[in-house]
Amino acid sequence: MFEFIKATLQRPNYIAFVVLFVWGLYIAITHHNLVKKLIGMYLVQTSVLFFFVTFSVKTEATVPILLSSTDKVQARGYANPLPHALILTGIVVQVATLGVSLALVTAIYKKYDSLDEDEILKRLE
Amino acid sequence: MTRHLPALLFCIPMLTAISMPMVSLKRREWCRPMALAAVWAMSVTAVVNLVVVLRSGEIRYAFGGWAAPVGIEWVADGLASVVMVAISLIASICLIYSGRVAPHPAGSRVVLYYTLILLLLAGLTGTVFAGDLFNVFVFLEVVALSAAALIGMAGGKALVFAFRYLILASIGATFYLLGVSYFYAATGTLNMADLAQRVPGLLDSKAVIGGMVFMFVGLGIKMALMPLHGWLPDAYSSAPDSVSPLLSALVTKASLLAWARILYWGVGVGADLEITQILRLVWGMGALAAVIGAFLALTQRDVKRIFAYGGLSHIGLILIGVGQGNQTGLAAAMFYLVNDAVMQATLFVVAGAAIHQYGIQTFDELGRLRGRAPWLIGALIIVSMSMIGIPPTGGFFGKWYIILSSLRAGNYLAVAAVMISTLLTLAYLIRLWVRVFVGDHVSVNTERVEMPFALRVCVGTLTVGIIALGLGSDRIVRVLLQATTGLGL
Repeated sequence: MFEFIKATLQRPNYIAFVVLFVWGLYIAITHHNLVKKLIGMYLVQTSVLFFFVTFSVKTEATVPILLSSTDKVQARGYANPLPHALILTGIVVQVATLGVSLALVTAIYKKYDSLDEDEILKRLE
Repeated sequence: MTRHLPALLFCIPMLTAISMPMVSLKRREWCRPMALAAVWAMSVTAVVNLVVVLRSGEIRYAFGGWAAPVGIEWVADGLASVVMVAISLIASICLIYSGRVAPHPAGSRVVLYYTLILLLLAGLTGTVFAGDLFNVFVFLEVVALSAAALIGMAGGKALVFAFRYLILASIGATFYLLGVSYFYAATGTLNMADLAQRVPGLLDSKAVIGGMVFMFVGLGIKMALMPLHGWLPDAYSSAPDSVSPLLSALVTKASLLAWARILYWGVGVGADLEITQILRLVWGMGALAAVIGAFLALTQRDVKRIFAYGGLSHIGLILIGVGQGNQTGLAAAMFYLVNDAVMQATLFVVAGAAIHQYGIQTFDELGRLRGRAPWLIGALIIVSMSMIGIPPTGGFFGKWYIILSSLRAGNYLAVAAVMISTLLTLAYLIRLWVRVFVGDHVSVNTERVEMPFALRVCVGTLTVGIIALGLGSDRIVRVLLQATTGLGL
């Protein structure tokens, strides 16, 4: 058990990921305000993107551009560009999701004059 | 030339969708012809693609000329091509239906409406062909966003349900992405073919097992698997009647297909017995969904909601086939998936026509159809036969092969689940038919309502499709069996 805690504490970035993920999920589930739900969803998405970036960190490595064209390529000296490219795509997807959901929230607010989920569900009937 | 067909299939709806707002800025009446031309072109291309794939083997398309593990790869094998033909044909029927039978949004929103439908189709094409895990994520998000916007177009309470769908679908996609990141951390690759070679050595890794569970939960939300289905009935029953056939036929199936692909082509469950635990989870959840979904359909009073819950039980049936871990099961599940897409489209086309031509909203008013709607009743009879599983229809052969594969796997609980779900389906359909044929005449006016020509075309083609799937089941299943050889099953 002690070993496990020690091993976990050596990776504070993973702890940060778990905290953000669970926190976001909690907000999305428990809050009744639609915008707060959106914030929760956004936190969950961001935490996963953060996780992706954080496990692909490589110490003592640089951007994947060859420093010299004559030397032999040392793969150890370069970071893997793929996770970063994936995360850029992930951020674009996240922005699109946020845009569509904010548009829906504004439409709901115009229609029902409230952002509270219980209030809106009461008016549906 | 022929090797570019998968990319062409994606480009047709995508480029039309992008150019539509510009072209139709001044002339809104061009939207519908443009969209129709795009889906018809897609259907022709999909058929040509299927013929090419059957003749000369699968097409592996490397985007930008970057070969597989490094670049993005699309795989058009027999399975993807068959599903693509089904998607484009169903989409063209649904487009004929929308706007002619059920009204679509008026004014400037027409442009948005057709653009969104084409974007949805582009997303579905991408999901079907994608050969790596991250592409599946991106295209599933394209599908979810355009589907949510289409649901929200109905206005009123549909907005609330569209919002709920969007939040749940995004969280589902995030769970899926988390699973993908576990896989990437453990194997260093996202390409499914590459993954299949690296995973077998890593089966005791917690990252791989955790990643699979996260992916299943995430895709489970998107495919509306039973305990995670909360968004579906409200969203589909409040969606505009003109798009609900398209949504119910295709959206959840895309995630299901992606899951089957990841399980068998990516992780390669067939190759290793250690991982069959996950298959037990898959068919177990499927069996629960099949039985409980059909039971919940029995308790509904709104026509569209009955069909929505019926769709949930069919998702379960497909998962039972996927979870058997043998070739027959996988081929049967994929055959039933195509079948179910056609059946759901038919059900919602009939429901929408009943609402708009005959003013039937609830279940008690179904008696109004009696003697006045021969086309609708004929279609309902054929589709009911298919849902229960009576021979000449596709539903019978789908269920037959699923049961056959469960027996081959010695899995009698799964067989029982299929049987019970069939009986419950029979029960809710009988309840429906009693309203149509036996109940009191609700309406006093018995004049015949004129059936638009477009509706006859849609209903006719869909019912012929159901029967054709039954008659041609042998050939289709053989193609699917061929597509699933070489997976080590």
